[in-house]
Amino acid sequence: MNVVDAIAETAQNWLAPESRWRKRAIAEAPEQTGFSPEMINEAVTLIFSALTHEALSKFIVPADAPRKITHILSGNVPAPGIGSICRGLLLGAENWVKCSSRDPVFPALFVESLREVNTELAERVIVKQWPREDVEQTKTALTGANAVIAYGDDDSIASLRALTPVTTKFFGYGHKISFAIIGEEALADRELPALAAFDASVYDQQGCMSPHAFFVEGDANAFAEKLAIAMEEFQQRVPRGKLSIKEAALSARVREIHEFRGAQIWTGKPPYPWTVIYDAQPTFTPSCLNRTVFIKPMHTLNSMQAWADTISTIGIAPWNAEMQKLASNLAERICPIGQMQRPPFTSN
Amino acid sequence: MTKLQQKILTFIRSGTGDFAELAMEVFAFQREHNPTYRTFCDRRPPVNSWQEIPAVPTSAFKDFSIACFPVSAAVAEFHTSGTTAETAGKHYFKTLELYETAIKPNFTAHLLPDAARLPVLALTPSPADAPHSSLAHMLGVVAGHDCEFFVERDTLLLERLTQRLCEMQWASQPVMLLGTAFAFVHLFDHLGKTRFELPEGSRAMETGGFKGRSREVTKPELYQLFTHHLGIPAQRIVNEYGMTELSTQFYDATMRLDQQSDCKDIPAWARVLVINPNTGEESATGERGLIRIFDLANLWSAMCIQTEDLGIAHADGTFEVLGRIAGAEVRGCSLNTESLRKQ
Repeated sequence: MNVVDAIAETAQNWLAPESRWRKRAIAEAPEQTGFSPEMINEAVTLIFSALTHEALSKFIVPADAPRKITHILSGNVPAPGIGSICRGLLLGAENWVKCSSRDPVFPALFVESLREVNTELAERVIVKQWPREDVEQTKTALTGANAVIAYGDDDSIASLRALTPVTTKFFGYGHKISFAIIGEEALADRELPALAAFDASVYDQQGCMSPHAFFVEGDANAFAEKLAIAMEEFQQRVPRGKLSIKEAALSARVREIHEFRGAQIWTGKPPYPWTVIYDAQPTFTPSCLNRTVFIKPMHTLNSMQAWADTISTIGIAPWNAEMQKLASNLAERICPIGQMQRPPFTSN
Repeated sequence: MTKLQQKILTFIRSGTGDFAELAMEVFAFQREHNPTYRTFCDRRPPVNSWQEIPAVPTSAFKDFSIACFPVSAAVAEFHTSGTTAETAGKHYFKTLELYETAIKPNFTAHLLPDAARLPVLALTPSPADAPHSSLAHMLGVVAGHDCEFFVERDTLLLERLTQRLCEMQWASQPVMLLGTAFAFVHLFDHLGKTRFELPEGSRAMETGGFKGRSREVTKPELYQLFTHHLGIPAQRIVNEYGMTELSTQFYDATMRLDQQSDCKDIPAWARVLVINPNTGEESATGERGLIRIFDLANLWSAMCIQTEDLGIAHADGTFEVLGRIAGAEVRGCSLNTESLRKQ
């Protein structure tokens, strides 16, 4: 059984025109994930275009690969879960997958599509869902594995780690933030606002690779204005999902306090599907997410030192040595703006 | 400006007045005397009615002096109980007259509708020990002389309080207990298997509040503990909703109705609007939204305050508080403002 071939073929089936897998995801995923159908469509393209033969072949299987892996997925974005299952298969492991109540659709649908290509391989993945409160079920899942891969907020990761036997390998992927830096010469790039809006809007900013802020050298205000136009264009094409009342209230609070402070704010018409805030304060405060981004002057970039341990990705424009050097000490991963939501398959 | 203050005092004392007219007067005054507020208002559409008056977010009390007078002339300042990670908000008072006048009739109507005279046991520090605590000050005003405070140096004096409860029970002396929900939970934990049957007529006021605490107890659970440990029935326990940034408090209608209620009365000199965060407009009756408060007694700071609490407005003119948005769900692996507050 060639695992690479099977996964790559499955991915092609998702990406094919008129793919019924894509159609099913678009029909079934919006309700629980809260994403718009258009966002799900976008997610399918992002997830499955990363699973190429070439990318999958680069994955190196260590000699001591675990035989049985338990994956605990989070519900904010579907991409890491699919990637995690694929890596488990490439390792030759049996995979138990606990999906989140927010996204029971993607993992199950992926396994179903894999089954069509290679039944035997699909048998190596069991997807289940149970409530977080059912600790006994979680314990059973954790105890049966040689390795545990867990995604989620820091509290969940900590409690899962505590439930996992000490002899089991535990990989926890907890809270992370991302941001981007823009050098003055990139401001002339006409493509840049759309690329930045894409990075900030995809998955409604719920992913740990979604930028909270853009640190801009030069005329930051002018960039903010262009970004606002691009955010609205993206919204027209890929609307933000519906927010819970609490999420909407958190966004309202961020707008209100910055309005009171006299900050420049750009926002879409109610229900305010995106917000760009020019924030010159020297400190960095994470966004309330759901497409709220801060534009900050480059000289406040130092404030990110305080967050060094929690930074996932830094998007960069222009993609040159000087800018890369500025960012490389701070983050696990750096990439050009527009690529923030396209991590290499081998990561995480 | 004492004229405007006088009008508001008269309104509070008599319980009647033209709220809309006074609100617009206070707005004009605050806009004129607070430059930060004026700049804020100048960037917004013109105001035609009190409902349109721009609200000051509570968090602005952390970053700005929300005052219509030089704060060096303040006779008192109350601080919010910010955690170490954030600076505390400050509410400056030019005079405590409005504040203290607004406290009494409202407290009496909701805790002492039977005109009972009861000794008070407060599970808070005394106003002298905590000069920046609005709650301690408020309790000092309502409790008068026959009041004991059971928090010293941030410690709840559990032994002394237990002993006093015991004495009250044996003397058949009804009593009024006042404190934060957390302080009461602390007391009930301490009491363990001990149960008192406080004499009939005893009552309690709790102010909610588990901010930054390890353990939270729901309101029904808390009230069961009151009944279990102290013998105070739910129709004699009143939740108070107040905040450092306001001068007026809101109480459950429980004792007015003689049955446990989660609905809060709004005194004549205040208004509460529930705002839909998706539109910025008022939510329909019965629908959730953010609580916005108009408090004429906040003459010298900001009359219109945007809270961070979710609530519901009821058709009978009361409202319900559903809790802070700070507890909003944090999804998955991306850090946001809320997860940081927990750290």
